[in-house]
Amino acid sequence: MDAEAAKLIGAGLAMIGAIGGGLGIGVVVSGAVQGIARNPAASGEIQTNMILGIAFAEAVAIYCLVVALLILFVF
Amino acid sequence: MADTTLATPEETKKKWHYGINRWFVLLFIILSVFGARAISPVLPHIQLPAERYSHIPLFTLPVIGEFYWTNTLTATVLVDLVLLILALIIRGAVKSGKEVLDGFAGTVEALIEVLYNLTESTAGRFAKTIFPYFATITFMVLVANWMELIPGVDSIGILEQSDHGYPIEPVLGFVNTIVKTTAEGHGDATFTLIPFVRVVTTDLNFTLGLALISVVMTQVIGVRARGTKYFGKFINVKTLFSKPVFGVIDFGVGILETVSEFSKILSFSFRLFGNIFAGSVLLFVIGSLVPVFAQSIFLMLEFFIGLIQALVFGMLTMVFMSQATHGH
Repeated sequence: MDAEAAKLIGAGLAMIGAIGGGLGIGVVVSGAVQGIARNPAASGEIQTNMILGIAFAEAVAIYCLVVALLILFVF
Repeated sequence: MADTTLATPEETKKKWHYGINRWFVLLFIILSVFGARAISPVLPHIQLPAERYSHIPLFTLPVIGEFYWTNTLTATVLVDLVLLILALIIRGAVKSGKEVLDGFAGTVEALIEVLYNLTESTAGRFAKTIFPYFATITFMVLVANWMELIPGVDSIGILEQSDHGYPIEPVLGFVNTIVKTTAEGHGDATFTLIPFVRVVTTDLNFTLGLALISVVMTQVIGVRARGTKYFGKFINVKTLFSKPVFGVIDFGVGILETVSEFSKILSFSFRLFGNIFAGSVLLFVIGSLVPVFAQSIFLMLEFFIGLIQALVFGMLTMVFMSQATHGH
């Protein structure tokens, strides 16, 4: 196989990990929205914690993205 | 009603401006359509490390190596200048002795108050220690990220001869532009662009530096708040002999805490870098595929991502610092 083609396939495969980040963010936001619906007065605090949770879940997807970018533009 | 009489000319003036602006927007859309037809945009050569202006190093240090002036370094200086000017404006407004700040200074005051209340609700009595790091990191990353939205950043620069580039064509006499390779070819020399300014958060060095500041200062604040007891979190031998089984587990948890401090550096730096670099690559690709309308939508997306990432970086720093100040 051509090295360039293998690189492209590898970058695509690396992004499979984004599934985890997507699922995680979905779970976080679903929980936060349910919490806000039950107790709208606490929405400010819940939103802050939700954004933090999203950031942690998203970090995993970002690692995949960085690996894909490294494969594409560095190696 | 003095208010209504004052407000009426203001409103009509505003409407009149809107009417003018509408035609400007239409003009720019038409111009961009013609411009994109005349010179079709190309996908620039994307490279991960920051571009150097010249191949001659600025200075050389014995162990670390050579130093180059890169385009992200220019962006750092610009960000610093913007923040300094902002600080001087606010200082002038505060020194003027007004009870209630209005205009731009009032907006910044309201923003800072929101951030401070957030810090106080999380960190309690350590809010005054933690807040400067939180606010500085948030504002710096925010200004750095929003630089991406300015036209000319990433797209105006020096043309450098390289192997994997495109031929150039003169426009307006002294300005050259990169053009797509045509069938007949414009000669053998190909060029790539070295932008004058590249968004600083697309440089891993900057995000790594910020992450190091954040994590190291977390340890410093933890030691200042709890003294030597702070290190008990990492080397946990308190229960090792009194409760044999759980003591070993506690010791293992301490090792994991140590590892998590190092992984914080990694996650901080890669999160910011990955988001903004992927955003700029996205803007390059969309701009080269659909030159006219599509990029505006993604610029809006980048606007929000820049804001959210700045807030996340600052807020995570704040939360980690406040966690370090109180024990379990």
